[in-house]
This record gives sequence, C-alpha cells and structure tokens, in this order.
Amino acid sequence: MPDFEWQFTLVLLTNGIMIGLMYALIALGFVLIYKATDAINFAQGEFVMFAGFIAAAAADMAGAPFWVCALLAIAGMVALGFGLERVVLRPLIGRPVIAVVMATIGLAAVLRGFAVLVFGAGTRAIVMPVTDEPLELGPVMLPPVQLVGAAVSLVFLAGFTYFFLKSRTGIAMRAVADSQQVAMAMGINVRRYFALAWAMAGVVSALGGVVWGAMLGVDNQLALVGLKVFPVVILGGLDSIAGAVVGGLIVGIVENFAAGYFDPIVGGGTKDFAPYVLMILVLMIRPEGMFGRRRIERV
Amino acid sequence: MRILSTLATAVLAAATLCLAGQATAEDKEITIGTQCDRTGPTQIVGIRLCPAVQDYIALVNSKGGVEGFKLKAPEIDNEYKVPPAVEAYERQKQEGSVSMMLYGTPQVQALNQKLEEDHIPSTSPGFGISASADGGRFPYLFPIAATYWSQGAAAIKFAKDKLGGDLHGKKIAYVYYDNPAGHEPLPILEDLQKSEGFELRTFAVPPPGVEMGAQVLDITQRFKPDFVIDHLFGRSPSVAIKEYKRAGFPLSKVLGLVWASAEADIDAAGGWGVAEGYHTLQFAGAGDDYPVRREIKAMYKAQGKEPPKEMDDTVIYNRGLLQAALHVEAIRNAIKANGGKKPTSEEVKKGFESIHDFTLDGLVPPLQISGTDHEGGGWVQIFQAKGGKFVKETEWFRAYPEVVAAAVKKAE
Amino acid sequence: MFHRESGVFKTSYAADMALYPLPIAKWAVAAFAGLFIVIAPLTLDEYYVSILNLILIACVGALGLNILVGYTGQISIGHGAFMSVGAYTAANLVTQLHAPFWITIPAGGVMAALIGAVVGIPSLRIKGIYLAIATLAAQLIIEWTINHVPAISGGVQASIQVPRPTVFGTPLKTQTQLYLFLMAFVVIAIVGTSNLIRSRIGRAFIAIRDQDIAAEIIGINIFRYKLWAFAISSFYAGVTGVLYTYYLGIANYEQFQLTVSIDYLAMIIIGGLGSILGSILGAIFVTLLPIAARWFLESFGGLFVSQADLANIIPNLRLILFGGLIIFFLVVEPEGLNRLWRNIRNYFRVWPFSY
Repeated sequence: MPDFEWQFTLVLLTNGIMIGLMYALIALGFVLIYKATDAINFAQGEFVMFAGFIAAAAADMAGAPFWVCALLAIAGMVALGFGLERVVLRPLIGRPVIAVVMATIGLAAVLRGFAVLVFGAGTRAIVMPVTDEPLELGPVMLPPVQLVGAAVSLVFLAGFTYFFLKSRTGIAMRAVADSQQVAMAMGINVRRYFALAWAMAGVVSALGGVVWGAMLGVDNQLALVGLKVFPVVILGGLDSIAGAVVGGLIVGIVENFAAGYFDPIVGGGTKDFAPYVLMILVLMIRPEGMFGRRRIERV
Repeated sequence: MRILSTLATAVLAAATLCLAGQATAEDKEITIGTQCDRTGPTQIVGIRLCPAVQDYIALVNSKGGVEGFKLKAPEIDNEYKVPPAVEAYERQKQEGSVSMMLYGTPQVQALNQKLEEDHIPSTSPGFGISASADGGRFPYLFPIAATYWSQGAAAIKFAKDKLGGDLHGKKIAYVYYDNPAGHEPLPILEDLQKSEGFELRTFAVPPPGVEMGAQVLDITQRFKPDFVIDHLFGRSPSVAIKEYKRAGFPLSKVLGLVWASAEADIDAAGGWGVAEGYHTLQFAGAGDDYPVRREIKAMYKAQGKEPPKEMDDTVIYNRGLLQAALHVEAIRNAIKANGGKKPTSEEVKKGFESIHDFTLDGLVPPLQISGTDHEGGGWVQIFQAKGGKFVKETEWFRAYPEVVAAAVKKAE
Repeated sequence: MFHRESGVFKTSYAADMALYPLPIAKWAVAAFAGLFIVIAPLTLDEYYVSILNLILIACVGALGLNILVGYTGQISIGHGAFMSVGAYTAANLVTQLHAPFWITIPAGGVMAALIGAVVGIPSLRIKGIYLAIATLAAQLIIEWTINHVPAISGGVQASIQVPRPTVFGTPLKTQTQLYLFLMAFVVIAIVGTSNLIRSRIGRAFIAIRDQDIAAEIIGINIFRYKLWAFAISSFYAGVTGVLYTYYLGIANYEQFQLTVSIDYLAMIIIGGLGSILGSILGAIFVTLLPIAARWFLESFGGLFVSQADLANIIPNLRLILFGGLIIFFLVVEPEGLNRLWRNIRNYFRVWPFSY
C-alpha cells in the first residue's frame, strides 16, 4: 500500500528530525569546547547526566518549580565547567590530543561514580510543565518534550552563530582557538576565554540534561547518550556550530530510516551503526566533516 | 618525604591488621559468594537485588542460622564485565564459598567451566544459559527459575489466553534487546509460531536502548500487532513503555518478560499512570504481601532502623529473596544429608538438586529441582500494573514444556 | 634495566643494536624471568596466580595497542573488537576442526590482522580524532556482525564453549599451568615487539608518529606502514582474544565491548606511550586498580559505614578512583609510569652523587 508507506516515511522523517535536534543539543556542548579549546570531550554524556541529576534532585528535595530547577542546573554546570577547566584541562594545555581525550574519559568515570554517590542510584524523573499528550499533525505525532528540546537547539544555533560571528567575546574565542600564542600577543586573556568556553558548554549541557532527563529519566545510564555525539560532530565537523545541528539532523534521520527500513531486511540492530557507516563515507570524501575547517598542516 | 613514608607504612599496617582481624571462627560459618552489578548497565536491578540477598541472610542469621551455622554472603561488584567477575569468583573461592550467586549472562557463560572444575554450584535465576536447565550437561549451573525459553513459551501461552484461546491469524510483535540474552527466546517463538499459527515479527533494540522511537513507530503504525512481548533490560523497558504511551498503543497489549517488569521500570517510565495495564512476567512473587517481607521489616524495626527503601521495588527485591532463600534451602538440605557437618560445595550442589515444595508462602513457585532438571519446572506468574501497584493476574503456571524440553535437548 | 653504565664501547653495529647491550642487562633479565616464571607460580596462592593470569593477557593486548598508538601515533578505540575477532576465529577452529592451540592462536591473530588492515584503510585520508572515531565505528560494526551472523557467533547465544588447550596431551587446568602457558606468549610478545621497534618497520612507525609529512617526503610509504601498524596491532589483539578464550573456556563478544577498548587505552596512557615497559606497567596498574581499590575500601570502610551502605559506596568510589587516577597521572606525569620508572632509575644511576 504505497499510501501507507508514504505515511510511515513521513513519521520516520519527523521523528528523525526531532530526535536529531535533541542530539544536536548535546553535540553543541562538545563543539563549543572543541571550537574554543581544542579539547575532545569524551565526558559530554556525563555532563548531561550530571546536569539532569542536579535539576531532578532540586525538584525532589526542595520541591522547586521547573524553572528554578533548570536555573540551578545551569548554575551548577557553569560552576562545574569553571572548576574542571581549572583543575583538569589547564595543566593539559599543549599536550597531545590523546592525553586530553584520556583525561576526559577519566573525568567521565569520576562523574558517573560521583553522581551516584551524591544523588543515589535510582532513576529520577524531571517533570516539565508541558503536557504528555503528543501534538498530532495528521499521521505525525510530536511529543511536547521533544518540541521543547528542538526549540532550545534552534535557539542555541541562532544564538551561538551570532555570538561567534558578531560579538566581541565570540570573535576573541575564535582567535584563541585559531592560535593561542597570537591571541595572547594581541592582548586576549586566553585563560579567561578557556574558562568561559567551558562554562558555556556547561550551560548547553545543563539544558540538554534537563530536556533529555525529562524525556528519559535521569540516572547513571543517561550518560550513554553521550556516545551519540560522535557521529554527529564528525559528520558536521568538529568545530562547526551549524555542523552540530546539521549533523544531528542527519544522524537522527539516518537512524530512524535504518530502524524502519533497513532493520527488517538484515534482522535488526542497524540503527546504532548506520550513522557511523555514513560518517566514514563522508570522511573519506571530506576528512574534516561537512562543515569542519580544513586543517592546514605545516611541516 | 620521611613523614609521608612513615604515614604510608602506618596506613598499610593498619589495613593488614584490619584484614587479619576479619578472620573469624570459620568452623561455624558458611560462605556464599555473591556478585552484583551496581555501576554497570543493569545497576537498576543490582542495587535492589543484592541488598535483598543480604537482608535475607541477616534474617536467617538472626533466627540462629542454618542448622546452627551462621551464613556470610560477601558481595563483589563486577560492573557487568567478565574479568572482574572471574577475579571475584577466584577470590570468593579462596574464601571457601560453598556456592556462588553469579550475576550476569556473560559472566555465567565465562565461569561455567570453572564451576565444573571446582565443583561449586551457582544459581542464575532469570538469566544465564537457557540450556543449563539440563542438569546433566550443566551439572553446576542452576537456573532455579524460568529460563528465557520457558519465559518465551509462557508469554505465548498468556497471549493465547488473552486473545481468546486461538492465535491463528493474530499478529505478535517481539521486541528484544539486541544481545545474546535477547536473542535466546527466538527459537522457541519461531517453533510456536509454526504450531500455533500466528504471525511473528521481531524488532531488535540495540543496546543500550535509550532511544527506540523508530522501532515503536514501526510496531504501532505499520505492524499493528495484537500483542507485544518486550524482552528488554536495563533502561530500555521504561523507555519502551514511554514510547508506547506516546504512540497511543494500549499497554494492556504489552507483556514485559522478567527484566522488563519491575516497579523501577514503571517509575522510570514516568509512574503508574503511564504504565496502566502493562502486564509483567515474574519468576518470583511480586508485591508486599508475603510473610518473609514482614519478617524482614520486623527485623529492621527491632534494630531501630527503617526498612530499606530497596524493599519498595517488590519485584526485584523479592527475586533477591528467592535466590538467597534457595541457597539457604540447598545448604540446609546438604547439612541434613551429611549429618550436621559443615557442607562442602559438592554437597550443596546435591542440596540444590533435592529442593522441592519450598514455596516461602507463595513467593517462590513450586520448584522441583532434580539432577536432570535444574530449572525446576519453568514456573511464571503474571502481574498487571493496575491502579498504582502490581496486581496478580494469574497463578503460577508453566507452558509448552515439551517445546522447551526439545529446545534444551537440541542445544549444544 | 638495573644497571649503571660506565665505559660502554661497542665496536660493531650489530653489538650496538643488540637487545641487551650489556652482560649485566642479560643477567638482570634472567633473574627477573626466573623470579616470575619459576618462583612466583609455585609459591603464590591460586587466587593471586589467577590475577597474574589476567594481567598477562592484558599485557599482550596493551603491547599491541601501544604499537599502534604509541609508536605510530594513530589513535584506535577499536581494540576490543579485534580481540573478539580473534576469539571467535579460534573458537570456531577449535569446535569445528579441533585445531590445537598452536594453530588457533596464530590463526586468530592473522584474522584479526586482516580485519585490522581493512579498518586501517580510512587512515589514508583521515587523521587524528576523526580516525579514532572511525575505529569506534569499526568496533560497533564488528560487534554487530558477530552478533548477527550465526555462522561466526555459533548460534543465538553468540558464545562458543572452548575446551582447555592441551600441551603434549595434558589439558591445562590449574591456574599455575595456565600461568606458564600465558607467560610463554607474553615473552614472545615482548621479544617480538622489542625487535619490531628496533627494525626498519619500527623506525618507519616512529617516523610516521613524529612527522608524517616529512616521513613521506623521504620516501616512506606511509599508507603501507600505517596499514602494517593496524595489522600488527590487531594481530596482538586477536591473540589476546584467543588467550582470553582459552583462559575462560568461552568466546563471547560481550567481553570485548567499548569499555574494554577504553581500558586498554587507559593502560598504555598510564603506562607510557611508546614503551614496552610502559605497556606492561600500565596493564598491571589498570588490572589491579579495581582489586586494590576494593581491598583497600573493604579494610577501611568497615570502620566508618555500615555494610549495606558500603556495598553501594565501594563500586562508585572505585569508579571515581579509576577516573581520578587517570587524570592524576595525565596531569602529573604525562609520559606515564614508564617515565616514573626512568626517573627513579636515573636517580639511582648517579646516586649518591646526584649533584
């Protein structure tokens, strides 16, 4: 029944777009850090989880309304961002990339253990002041939680693009990312901008944590969404804000189509690695991802 | 530098003293080695099941122990990985454990040969190797609860009863975690598909299964089944429940197998309101209405403490009780059989094989474990999420034993 | 290792490039070997020998990964997948052809090497972190393939039972026997790696790591050598997988997932990139860490918190310790335990005249 298939395709497409924008929300944090400090953050999922925990704990313990919880999460993550940059990342400036990668992997383990110690191991819920009933547009159903997440992503996309293109701080950050020494020579306080970048990533992670926590519930395993960030940022380009969103959309759509159409043929499970296959293909053509900046290697 | 080194030596000395001090009178103490996953993908189960084991052991000890022997159940976290599980096994073997409570299917598979070589029995209720129901081929593995095969068969039987006694022409969707444990019921379902005449479609959810929108859409919009069987683990059951609700698919058409059927899953899905009507398959009785739970609560009150909040998740907590109770029963059988001496692990194995009619007032099904049948019959019970708690829907039953037995024989 | 050098003169190139340039080095290594090969397994309790066995298997894997990451500079997060390739190859050979271990182990390694070379193909175009994520993709794809192709995985359960290896007719059952078995392979791996690094291929690897464009200019075919690096490293991984299979008696891909790949990365980074001793020290450290942490917390924790709380706290504290120590080592000593050892050695080299 061709009509029926068309409907299903549309449903898969919208679901893919929605979930893709949610992925982009996480990827934005990753891109921010990489763009400003050249650090690959393997702990992005744990940031999202920790932020979710803060918000959920605030709701549980103090009965605070949603907005206060979200603000508390943002504040907590900004503090965490500052602290981490100081303690962990600053000593590692100039070290090979694998050292920073490993440091963030270690950080991920610390955050996971710490979160359970402080917040307990049970799953907590974050209740958003939106309805649970999905918005229906014909055959397509849009859950309000995902709509909020998508909206936040797009707002961040617009905001950060403007920030990096037009505002003074944004341009300074780009300068720092380009060449730290020259930036320092121009009088830019590199350390301050590093800290700022991590704090901004904290803000993004906080909102990501709140939205994903509302969608999935917050516990130790929420950090696993962090794995999704890699095909997204690689496809989009590690240092491109727009790339994070486009990459997220592509990964979301590819995943859904793989699950909907490819799975029945091969017996299931393709959803997870289909984006990676696409990623490898794109990388072979454009080694820096679709929107990434070409790295010029000087001998 | 000197201060630091003296401090370090002092710390080490204190640690050794502490360890030495732990060597208690071993003659009157029986050790059961337990493993748990408190930090890995199945921590949602581990953090409730393992305290239950400790609580039951404490309860037995408070009543004087087993035939005069005190019990000890040291627990080691294996993070659901295999090398820590192997190391934990060796450590607990060294401590003289007479039986093991392994945790996790890959771990059971990895340690099976060692259990045989060392003659130590271990239980694997609700996970592990389905073929280990055959006590002849797996002499030291005891499922002591419905294996995945029995669960699959029982699920089909329940679906059949729910859909009017006849499955011809009906559509059943099987949603499963894409790992070996998730694959296990497939042969049973395919066999039953042929004999019962229903249309089966399978939907794999890759681990960790925190996002399955597409699969649920495929099920609810395209396949539109009459019944759904969820064989999921960890966080994925709650995600599935949420997605079904979002897609508007009635949860009264969904049955979760044993690891998709806890209060924790309902809570993580957003509460009882979301999961209303969801059926769950249990291998241990669910709910609070069992004497042994009351006894444990009384034990805590007598010590002036509140009962632990892990008891609130009755499904998983009771499974821990079941496991501990069966180990204690096996040890009791062993002591009775050898005339009151401290049992060896071989004797405890025989103790397991002589368990029958031990029901703990309904929490444990009427298992009949023997030298050839280590599963005990494949008993399950269905509970439904109704009005804020689990309500018993069926009594203990087992289904298609011939199909399951044939599968056990066929597996190599 | 444990010697001081003074007045060392070599008169031939071969003598200079020898594995143990000084006689005392040979004696030291012999004593070390005697200690570990003969005395340790006979005197230690079975439990401790089992821990040593786990460490030995990890050593082989860490050496392999260090060849790729430490000496050639290509980050790989797919090590676990190559182990499972080796494991299943060997398991299938054993169950279907009843092949003895001296066929299955090389066969597992070769199969893993082939797959590793295929995974290395993107390294022609992709570099750095992008390549790392491509290897992550390989990890996931290989896992999926094993999971979904029953011909490889041996059925729905995706695990294949394997009998213990037999040496001259005796099956190896006890931990001590397995220890000697595994030790033999570790020794081969160490000697092989040392020779590899000092050879032409090894020097090409180091050149690629240091300045790959310059290496290309002077005529090293970097694509070919990168493929070799992937292949050799995966060979080691495959052998590690087979050794795990023989040690546990079962091949199961769930033992070799992403967390394992990350564990091995941690081993070589903590141990020291680009050094053999570093790989071994790192393997020892990462394998022992959870055990030591648990032992430590159990001895002390009982003083402060109740038993039930302790059971909840220990695993999470262990995670924190694991991550924390990784970060600590990276911040304090980026070149790892190897560098720490060298510092100690250099200190004693001129002691007591360190000024």
